[in-house]
Parts: sequence; C-alpha cells; structure tokens
Amino acid sequence: MSGGFASGALASLLAARWPRLAIRLGHLGVLVGAIAGGATAIDVLADPSAPALRIELPRLMPLAQLALRVDSLSAFFLLVISLVAAAAAIYGPAYLEAHGAMGRGRAGAHVLALGVFVGSMSLLCCAGDALSFLVLWEAMTLASYALVVSETHRDENVHAGLLYIVMAHIGTALIAFVFVTLAELGNGTDFDVLRTAGHGLPDGVRSGLFFAAFAGFGVKAGVVPLHVWLPHAHPAAPSHVSALMSGVMLKVAVYGMLRFAFDLLAPGGSPLPASWGWTVLALGTLSAVIGVLYALQQHDLKRLLAFHSVENVGIILMGSGLAMLLVHRGDSANRLATLALAAALLHTLNHASFKGLLFLGAGAVVCRTHVRNLEDLGGLARRMPWTSGLFLLGAVAISALPPLNGFVSEWMTFQALLGGGSQVGGGGGLFSVFAASMLALTGGLAAACFVKAFGATFLGRPRSVHAEAAIEVPRSMICGMLGLALACVALGVVPGYAMALLDGPTSSLVGGPGASAVVTARGPLVLSSVGGAGFGAAIFMPAIAILCVALGIAAWIMRAWPRRPARRSAPTWTCGFTPTSRFDYSATAFAKPLRLIFALLYRPRRQVERENPDSPYIIKRMRYHGDVVDLAETAVYHRFQNAITSVAGAIRARSTGRIHGYIGYVLITLLIVLLLFGKA
Amino acid sequence: MTPATATELIDDIGGLLLFTMILILGAGQVYRAIYAVAAQSVFLGIAGAVLAAATGNPDLWVIAAITIAIKAIALPWLLLRVVKQIEVRLEIDAVIPISMTLVIAGAIVVLSFYLAASLGAVRQSITGDALPVGVALMLLGVLVMVSRRKALTQMVGLFAAENGIFFTAMAVSQGMPLIIEIGVILDVILGALVMGILVLRVRSSVDADIADLEELRG
Repeated sequence: MSGGFASGALASLLAARWPRLAIRLGHLGVLVGAIAGGATAIDVLADPSAPALRIELPRLMPLAQLALRVDSLSAFFLLVISLVAAAAAIYGPAYLEAHGAMGRGRAGAHVLALGVFVGSMSLLCCAGDALSFLVLWEAMTLASYALVVSETHRDENVHAGLLYIVMAHIGTALIAFVFVTLAELGNGTDFDVLRTAGHGLPDGVRSGLFFAAFAGFGVKAGVVPLHVWLPHAHPAAPSHVSALMSGVMLKVAVYGMLRFAFDLLAPGGSPLPASWGWTVLALGTLSAVIGVLYALQQHDLKRLLAFHSVENVGIILMGSGLAMLLVHRGDSANRLATLALAAALLHTLNHASFKGLLFLGAGAVVCRTHVRNLEDLGGLARRMPWTSGLFLLGAVAISALPPLNGFVSEWMTFQALLGGGSQVGGGGGLFSVFAASMLALTGGLAAACFVKAFGATFLGRPRSVHAEAAIEVPRSMICGMLGLALACVALGVVPGYAMALLDGPTSSLVGGPGASAVVTARGPLVLSSVGGAGFGAAIFMPAIAILCVALGIAAWIMRAWPRRPARRSAPTWTCGFTPTSRFDYSATAFAKPLRLIFALLYRPRRQVERENPDSPYIIKRMRYHGDVVDLAETAVYHRFQNAITSVAGAIRARSTGRIHGYIGYVLITLLIVLLLFGKA
Repeated sequence: MTPATATELIDDIGGLLLFTMILILGAGQVYRAIYAVAAQSVFLGIAGAVLAAATGNPDLWVIAAITIAIKAIALPWLLLRVVKQIEVRLEIDAVIPISMTLVIAGAIVVLSFYLAASLGAVRQSITGDALPVGVALMLLGVLVMVSRRKALTQMVGLFAAENGIFFTAMAVSQGMPLIIEIGVILDVILGALVMGILVLRVRSSVDADIADLEELRG
C-alpha cells in the first residue's frame, strides 16, 4: 500500500522533466496505493473477531519502536480514505491538464505533495505508536499546505495557506502535548503502553488531556470556534485535493478524537466522564447549524462546499458525542451508543463520498469556466450534462433526502438523539432532543443551500462568457465522479451491507453487539433500529428508492401526457425589455430571506452605488456589493490578532537597539533571579 | 605559606579588587578605567599565585602567569592603542550618571554579601570571603557594560566581569581546570581583537562611534 504512494511520489520526481508523465505516474501510484489500502481495510473489516494486524517497522531510530497497527477502527477510516483517494486519482490528471498550465517543476512538486499527503493520511490511521502518529500527522499537514499554496499566483491562496499552517500547528502542539504526557506516564510510545497509562489516570487529568486532544483535533476537523482556516484553505487547493481535504482529512481528525476518547484515554469498561459527551454534542450541534448557515451565504462554489464540511463534521460529532455519553451505562444505553456511533461512522463514510463527489463536480465546473462565483455561472446543465447530473446526485445526498446515503446516516443520528433524550431524561434529555431539532433545521437549510448552489450553477441562462463557452469535461474526470456517485447510491439503497462493515469498529469501541445487530434487525436491506425503548420503525430502503424512481417516472409521464392543447411557445413578457440572463434569480437573491432572518448572526453589509448623472430618477448604472462576516473570525480571531499586534508593538517600542540596554535587561533579570532563588 | 596567612592575604586582595572596581566605575576618563582594570588583573594574578603557594597546585601558577601577562599587560595595551588611534574625546559617556552608578554598585555589593552568607557550605576555608567579592565583581562588571555608552568601556566591563568569574571560581573550587581557563582567556582576547578592529574600522570608514550604530534601528 505504502509502496504505491511512495512509488507515485518518486516517479513524479524522476519524471519531473516531463510534466504530463509525472502527473500520470503520480496519480497512478496514488490509485494503486488506494486500492491496496481499500483491500487491506475490507480484509480487516470483514472479520471483526480477528486480532488487529500489526506490522513492526525496522528500528530506524534509536528512540522507539515504530509500528503499524490496523484494528477495525483504523481499517474503517482507511476504507474512507481509499475510496476518495481512488476517485481523486482517476480524476486528477485530466483536471490538472485542463485547468492549470502546470510548469515542469510544479507538476513534480504537486504530485509529490499529493503522494505524501494521501500516503501519510492512510498510514496515520494505521499508526501503532505515538511517534509515528505525530510524524505522519505533521507530514499530512505540510503536504496539504504545499497543495493549498500550489497555485501561488493568487495572493489569497498564500494568505489561506499561512492561516492554515499556523492553526494546524497550534493543533499539533496540543496533540503532541497529550501524547508526550501519556508517553511519560507509561514510559513508552506504543499505543498499548499509552492505553495502560490512560486507564489508570485520575479523572481530572484524564479530562484535561481529553479536552486538549479534542481541541487539537478540533482545529483540524473544523469544529466551530476553530474552523476559520477551513473555508479559506479548502477552496484554495486544486479541486481533487479539496475533495481529499474536505472529504478525508477532516475524518482523520475525527479518527483521532475517537481513538483518544474510546481507546487511549478511556477508563477501560466504565463510563466516560459526562462532560466529554456533552461538550462534543454541544459543539457538534453548534458546528452543524453555524456551518450550514454560513454556507448559505457563500457565493463561491468551493467555499460553500467547505462550509458544508463544517456542518457535516458537526453531524458526525453529534453522533460521537452521544455515543460518548451513553457508552457503558447499562445495556439499553449501550445499544443506543452503538447506534449513535454507527450513525457517526456511517456519516463519515457518506460525507466522504458525497462531499468528494461535490468537490469533484465543482472542480469540473471550475476547470471549464475558470470562475467559482455562483453569480457568473448558470446554464451549465445543457453544456455539461454528466457533471450536472452527478452534482445533483451529490446535492440530494448531502441534503439528507432519501433514497441516498445522507438520509440513512442522518436518520440514524435522529433516532439515536431522540432515543438518547428518553434514555438520559431531565435537562440533558431535553438538550438531546433540542440537538435533534437542530439537526432537522440543518438538513432543511442544507437542502435550501443546495437548491441555490445547483440552481445558480446549472440552471437558468449563463451569466458570463465563461459559462457560455463551457463544454463537458473529459471522460476520466467523469469516471472519478461516477465512482463516488455509485458509492452514494449503494450506501443509500442497501445500508445493511454498510452496517456489516461497522460491526468491527462499533463492537471494539463500545462493546456489546455490533452495529448490524443493533441497526438492521431484518436483513441487509431493511434499515431498522432496535436501540431505543420503543424506537423500531423499519425503513426498507430499496422500496423508497423504487418509490422515488416511480414518482419521477410518474411526474415525467404527467408532464409528457397531456399534449392535447396546442402548445405555443413565446418569450416571457418582460415589460418590453429584451430578456437577458441578468433577469434570472441570482444566488444572492435566493439567500436573501435567510440573510434577513439571521441578520443577528450574519451582520450583513451592503453597499449600493447608483450612477444618476442627470436626474435622481434616472439611474444609469447600479452597483451592488454585499457580504456577511464570519462572527467567529471577527469577534474572536481579529481581537486576538489585534492583541498580539499591540503586544508586539509594545515590545518593539521597548527594544532600543542599544547594546547596553539589552545588557541592562540581562543584569536586571539576573539580580531578580538572585534575589528570588539565591537564598538557599 | 600557612593556610591562615593565605586566607588573610586573599581577603586583603579581595578588598583591593573591590577598590579597583570602584575606580573603574568612578573613572571619568577612558584611560583611567583601562589602568584600573589592568591593576585589578594584577591583583587577581597575585591572588592566584598566593593560592598556588598555599595549595601547591601547579596549574594555578600557570593561570596566574597567564592572567598577568594577558589581562594586565597585553589587553590594556591594545585598548590604549585603540584609544590613541581614534583620538576621540576621552571622557566616559555615561548612560547612568556616575554618582548614581556608584550608589547602585554599593547596593549590589551589599546584595552579594547578603546572598553569600547563606552559601557557607560552598565556601572553602582557605579563600575566606572570596565568594561574595567574586559575585560582586561579576555583577559590577555587567553594570559597567550597562551604564557606559562607548564600546571601549564596555570591553573594560567585560574584562572586569571575567575577573569576577575567575575569582569566584577560585573561591569555590581552587580555580577552574587549566584548559577551561585558557579557553576563557582566548575568548576574551578574541573579543578584544574583534572589538578593537571594529571600532577602528567604523571610525575610519563612516566616522562614527559603534554606539552611534543604534541609529540604524528600523
């Protein structure tokens, strides 16, 4: 597996002289690696009772034994990574050739970074000790940074990259702190040693370490107060890399959280501290709602998708948080915890597939039109039929509409939250039900958002010459998208088979029966949960699929049937003007009602300039500019930034540049230290 | 030489070292400070010789000889040469007024004796009150570097601080090993050479003192 990535990366170096060859070979290496990774993952997942696969690496460093260890949780995330990586590898070469004039060295560097990025993510999930985990984590961060700034001719990309790398390193520092603390307690770096050390911790220390790790991984996952880098960095990368970052890299952070919460820091067999679950659940709910609300107001296609990643990570965290709350608190609570965890993990896989699909679709649009602003697109459905169809499929999936996969996992999350509400009871139960209602709101807003995104991009008339000139993308790019689309459909229609994959991870983390025993009571096709008290509504997913298809056919027949009255086609009456594409409903206009409702959050700014030279009643030209601010960015980060700047200014004012001044500081420090500690 | 006489002698020399230090601090002109530091180094060499005679450690003889040859003769000669070459105002450029410096110096001496009182266990019987004197010399040397603006006087301060470290080392462990002592002295020589060359070069090419370079701050 790693051989594939490494050979891809190396091939790119050797072939740096021939950019096309470098790109092809590099992506081929990634594809081979991804297929090998997927095969390994399925192999491990298929047999949940088998012991974890363990590979000892040769002792390269004198410090510690490095090891790879693939247990079922690792294997599941490896599967998620491999799925999107394979699609991106098929999609990538054509995209890079069509989109960017890649220079010689750049193509090599790009493919090298891609190989390192995917390879380190895959191996990260299989890391068996703290040292290799940290090294791979850092490699992943740096490689993705290189990819974010690979289109350096745009200033905003450089800025986004800087923001990303600073925040990512704050996260890494927190994770490293937790690892080092555990390693010191256990006197070793292997996960087995850390686990033993973690089991014996006092509760205060355990929670402190968990929250540090949660914050560290939260930065990477884009949990709401820490998400500000994400909408800047994800769109900046080439589209198939955005798909990998959004669809997969966030999941690696989720993997880290689950690994710490349920495995390394867990007090073996007894319930986790309640504060963990509540925090994760609350922040997950916040992320879901805030993410989708901001996504609604974005008019940059890729940025919109990036904000949706914040939302979906929130949904995953809602499930994980509930599972943390309920685990090991009695038999029926444990079954609910299994349901919640299965929902979270399934949503991880689902989000990877549909978000990957959407980013690849957005990339197809970008590479043909070279614009990302929704207002400059439009009318692409006729020009790019495959892309628009596949994008629509992804949009339906992310909006949690049956019969696609987004619905399955969100429905399971709902059930878990409602069941959790009755299980916990009291104020906490109320909060759980509140979270469920927020999830419903999120689903609705996501649907609205994708009506906007799809409508503005593909329907109506082209609003710019770029959109008018667009043609369908090459076949290999469509193949990449098609693979993910098939995954979306398969996971939606036959969720029972996916449940079988989740058996291993859920039973190893939560204990008790696996996911398929809890969720699908009646065969692989029926989605039903026996988790909560009295919750057991069965949904036969293929029936829903057939129903939807039948409805679609019926609607088509209804439209096509009554051809009796003569049809006359004439242009719409437009008050005497010639209709232009500017008459279309724009994305900004579509989002306006919600902008007004949530004005408190958005703090919208609008600016209208009118040119009326002759009379105030005759307007020659109008210019409208409006945007919304990210409250976290302005309220927290800008203040923080200002504080740092003013401290730096103060230090600068105190630096005289005189050498005796500096020696003076040394002398004063020395005297103070002598006074404080000199007296033995 | 009996240990008792050695202790007495070293205590007396400690007093002389402090006195020369006060002279350095109070010197109004550059060359006086240089003469004072040369005298201080001579006393330090004598202290080393006394200790060598009392303990019979042959290394200390070498160190004492090197101290007198280099710190009392060669380096002051070099500094005086630089002073003559650049022919500047010979007044000390004080950042802190001299009287104020002397007051601070008094406080530092009191502080070091106060601190050393608690360190009785570290002291050797033979060197008596050398430890607080050494600590005071070192801190006062740094004080010279802080309170004077000219590069030359800062160099004098560095020599004085180095003397203090040497004396402290003698007080707690009969001097540092020979190899380290030689290394330290080489460092000081190198520092003095670099400083001397820099001062002369800056003077000859832009007609400014090193201290004026702070104007370059961005």
